[in-house]
Amino acid sequence: MKITSGLMNICATIIAFSFSLNVFAISPADIKKGEYLARVGDCVSCHTAPHGKDFAGGLPMLTPVGAIYTTNITPDPETGIGKYTESDFAKALRRGVAKDGHHLYPAMPYPSYAKVSDTDIHYLYLYFKHGVKPVRQANKASEIPWPLNYRFPLAIWNAFFLDKETYKPDPDKDANWNRGAYLVQGLGHCGACHTPRGLAFQEKGLTHESGKFLSGETLEGWSATNLRDDHNTGLGRWSESDIVVYLKSGANQHSSAFGTMTPVINNSTEGMTLEDLTGMSSYLKTIKGSDDKGQKPYKYDPSATLAQFKEPAKHPGAKLYQQYCAACHSQNGQGVAPYLSPLAGNPAVMDPDPSSLINVILNGSPQLKPQGVAAPYNMPKFRHILNDTEVAQLVTFMQKGWNHNLDATDAKQVAKIRKMPPSAH
Amino acid sequence: MATLNINGTTHQVDAPDDMPLLWVIRDIIGLTGTKFGCGIAQCGACTVHIDGQAARSCVLPISAIGDKKITTIEAVGETSAGKSIQKAWLDLEVMQCGYCQSGQIMSACSLLGQHPHPNDEQIDTAMAGNICRCGTYPRIRAAIKVAAKEGA
Ligand code: FES
Ligand code: FES
Repeated sequence: MKITSGLMNICATIIAFSFSLNVFAISPADIKKGEYLARVGDCVSCHTAPHGKDFAGGLPMLTPVGAIYTTNITPDPETGIGKYTESDFAKALRRGVAKDGHHLYPAMPYPSYAKVSDTDIHYLYLYFKHGVKPVRQANKASEIPWPLNYRFPLAIWNAFFLDKETYKPDPDKDANWNRGAYLVQGLGHCGACHTPRGLAFQEKGLTHESGKFLSGETLEGWSATNLRDDHNTGLGRWSESDIVVYLKSGANQHSSAFGTMTPVINNSTEGMTLEDLTGMSSYLKTIKGSDDKGQKPYKYDPSATLAQFKEPAKHPGAKLYQQYCAACHSQNGQGVAPYLSPLAGNPAVMDPDPSSLINVILNGSPQLKPQGVAAPYNMPKFRHILNDTEVAQLVTFMQKGWNHNLDATDAKQVAKIRKMPPSAH
Repeated sequence: MATLNINGTTHQVDAPDDMPLLWVIRDIIGLTGTKFGCGIAQCGACTVHIDGQAARSCVLPISAIGDKKITTIEAVGETSAGKSIQKAWLDLEVMQCGYCQSGQIMSACSLLGQHPHPNDEQIDTAMAGNICRCGTYPRIRAAIKVAAKEGA
C-alpha cells in the first residue's frame, strides 16, 4: 500500500510538474518573434548608451526643457524591468505609465506604441523577460529643472494626446498596406522624428488622416525629412522599391542615410523582412504630399552650377565645394549612388530647414553597417576645418546649386548647430 | 568581374562593385606608386586620372569607372603635361619625403591639361586638396609655373 501511494505521489508530482512546464514553457520561437519586433521598434538605439550594454539605458535625449536619460529595460529585477508583469509592460509601452505608477516622458514613443497589438506585446514581453541579458545599472535622473520635472501633468497630456486604440485594419486596403500602416504608425514609430510636434511636444498627427503626419520635423539639430508624397522634399520621386532598398541598405539612387537615421538602419530596418519593408513602402507611398512648402517641382539642371567652378574666385561656395566635397559628390552633384550620396535633387538637400546639411558637414555621419558590413565610404566631419562662414557658404552653394534655387543659409544658423552636442546616437 | 583600362592595358579584376579603385590598383594590380593617405578624399595622396581628370581613387568605387581610361603615376610621364611636370619637379627638387608627391604630380598634370598657363588662383584651386606634411607648397607652385612655361 505504502509503496503504491508513494508511487502515486511521485506520478502526481511528475504530472503536475510536466503540466506546469506545459503552461509556462516559453518557446524559443516566440522569444525570437519578440526579438524581431524589438528590432522593428528599434528599442536598442535609444535604450543603450554610447559604448554601453544593450538595453541598459543611459542615452541622453535632448528635449526642449532639458536632457532626459533613457532607462534600463533589461530584466534586472532591481534596476531594470525584471519585476514587470505582462500587463505592467503593456501599460508602460502603450500608456506611458511605469510599474510604480509614474508617467514616462513622451520621448518614449508610447503614443505610437499604443497601436501595437496584444499578441505583439506578448512576444515583446517574452523577449525582454527571457531573451535579454539582465544588466544591473541604475537609471539616471533627468535634468529637467523644477517645476517642469513634475510628472503629474503628463496624465492630463495623455488625456489630450494619447489615442488608446490599437491599430484597426482598413478593410478597403490589402493586407500588405495594412501591415505597413501598422508598422509605420506603431512599432516603427517613424512619426516620433518625422512628424512635427506641437507646443506640448505632442506629435501633430499619429496617422495619415492628419495632414501633418510624417511631414518633417527638426529634433536635436537634425531635420528628419518629410516622408509624404511631395515631389521635392518628400518621397514623391522615390518608387516603392527605392524605399525598400533604402531601408534595407541605408542608401539608394536618391540619397544615403546619415545622422540619427543611421542607427535606425543599422539596428532596425536592415534586419526587417522584405515583406514588412514592402508593406511600409506601399503604405508610405499612399500618403499625399503637402505641396512642397511652395517649391516648384524640381528638374535637374547642373549648367549654371558647373559654370561657377570655372570662376572660383567669384564663387566662394563653389571653391569650397571643389576643395572638400567634389571628390565624392561630384561637380554635377550626382555622386556615385548608392555608395556616395547624390546631392542634386536629394530631399535632404531640398529640405527648407538646413539643419541636417549643416550638421552632417560639421559632424560627419556614423558608419552605416547594413547586414553587419561597414559601408565603404563614410562622411567625414569638417568642424575643425571649416568655420561658420565657410559652412554657410557651402550649404548655400548646395541650396542654390543644380537648379535647386532655395533660400540661403547664414553663419548664425551654423553657429547654433555647432554649439549643440553631436548626437549621442 | 570588372574590366578596367589602366595605363593603356585592359585588366579583368575580380572585386566587388563598391571596392575603391585605390585598393584595386595597389593590392590587385600591384601598381604601388599611388599612395594611401586618408581614405576619405581629404589628402590627395591617391590621386589618379580618369580620362585625364584628377580623381581621388580612395573614394572611387570601381563600378563608377566603366570604360574610362585610368592613368596612374607610373604612366603619366608618357603624356606631354606629365613629361614637363616631372622634369620641372626634378629641376626644382620639389620632393622632400616624397609620400604626397605622386598625388601632387597627378593633380598638377590634370591642371595643365585644363589650363596650360594657370594663374595663382587656378593653381590654388586645383592643388588645394593635396596636402604635403613636409610643406613643399612653395616649390610645387614654382615648378608648375616652370612646367607651364617650358611646355608652351
Ligand atoms: S587617400 Fe585618397 S585623398 Fe587621401
Ligand atoms: S613631400 Fe613629404 S608629404 Fe609631401
